[in-house]
Amino acid sequence: MLITKNIKMADVIHMNYFTLSALNRFGIELGFGDKSVEVVCKEYKVDPEFFLEIANTFVNKDYFPKKHLQTFSVKLITDYLQKTHHYYHKVKVPEIELLIENMVESCYTQKDNMVLLKKFFNDYKNELLNHTQREEEVVFPYTIAIENAFLNQNPDESILHMMETYSIDVFENEHDNIEEKLFDLKNIIIKYLPAPKDQRLCNKLLYELFNLEQDLNDHSRIEEKVLVPKIREMEKQIINNFTNR
Amino acid sequence: MAKITFAICEKSFLIRKGLASVIEKIPDTKIIQQIENAEELIVSANNCEADYLILNKKFTTDPKVKKVLSAFSGTTRFILLVNDNNNKVSGIYYDGIIDVNDTQNFILKKIKEITGKNAVIQKNVIPGEISKREADILKNIALGFSNKEIADKLFISVHTVVTHRKNITRKLGIKTVPGLTIYAIINKLIDIDKAE
Ligand SMILES: [Fe+2]
Ligand SMILES: [Fe+2]
Repeated sequence: MLITKNIKMADVIHMNYFTLSALNRFGIELGFGDKSVEVVCKEYKVDPEFFLEIANTFVNKDYFPKKHLQTFSVKLITDYLQKTHHYYHKVKVPEIELLIENMVESCYTQKDNMVLLKKFFNDYKNELLNHTQREEEVVFPYTIAIENAFLNQNPDESILHMMETYSIDVFENEHDNIEEKLFDLKNIIIKYLPAPKDQRLCNKLLYELFNLEQDLNDHSRIEEKVLVPKIREMEKQIINNFTNR
Repeated sequence: MAKITFAICEKSFLIRKGLASVIEKIPDTKIIQQIENAEELIVSANNCEADYLILNKKFTTDPKVKKVLSAFSGTTRFILLVNDNNNKVSGIYYDGIIDVNDTQNFILKKIKEITGKNAVIQKNVIPGEISKREADILKNIALGFSNKEIADKLFISVHTVVTHRKNITRKLGIKTVPGLTIYAIINKLIDIDKAE
């Protein structure tokens, strides 16, 4: 079932509690009584249309309105992506670190192995940080510059120089699969970490890893299937406009 | 002897049933699961007990399916089902291809070939684990050696090293070097302080 703007925000969460993490990203706080999605979004100055599409991708695994998502502004999309990065670093990663730390501390039979996991995840965390930093410092500013030039009737030629040194194709090529290591970590815990171990902690950790992996997947999908084609189209237009001048 | 088990993943009811009835003509084979759509396939990824999954090629282009295919790889091998002559499939390791237009005899022959070949290979493998040779390669990967260095050390070609690496990854379900390193340490293939 798709969420529409007249549904109560509270019901959205009841429908699927994964939407809680979407609310968190949009900065929407709990306690909205019986207000509808539209009303709550307006209160928080969130574009209700965009919120609905994102929330629906959370609720429905097969829902991904690529074309419609491409119609939103680059600013809006990259803002959302950036908020998601923030959510990973400030919420998800610390949660996982804490669980691993608990595993190291509570384990007496294979502390070495647990320390290995800790190091593995720590390296991963740095990799994730580099990945998102590169996007925030290089990629997103570039896409916003492209959007500005695209909307401008008479853009400055400097945009062409910018496009010579960087382009969305470069991003597409350098954009690496940040989920792979999480997949490995999951499999190591599921298949290879010997018993005995704290099953409860392992399960919690696995749950968090699955969750982050899925979230990263959805996130990369927006970068690759929404942002990249949108910017590529704009790049083409900009070049066309200059050649037709 | 234990039966060789198959799962069939195919949209068309008729093709599924037809293929099942052909395969079950081979002695000691059994169809243990029939899957008709991507959702079911995704759900089965982590608990498929079949030795072989006969998978319609069309499913392999679904990104969601692609993502879970590696979860099968510990124990289940793939046979692709196609209905055109274009056999190109990338990013998945499979043991053979069946065309829906193949004759019954041809299909039987192919299945026997595939299962026969692996019956021999599997003798050298600890179930669900890697062979001795693969363990050697893995050890060297974990110690930080490059494909070229490993090839020189073990007197084999780089190409062979790459093939071994692919098989190791497929069997263990671990793709990255740091992941493989942890596996090697946990299983005492290398010493913790030797890992880079
Ligand atoms: Fe990102
Ligand atoms: Fe990214």
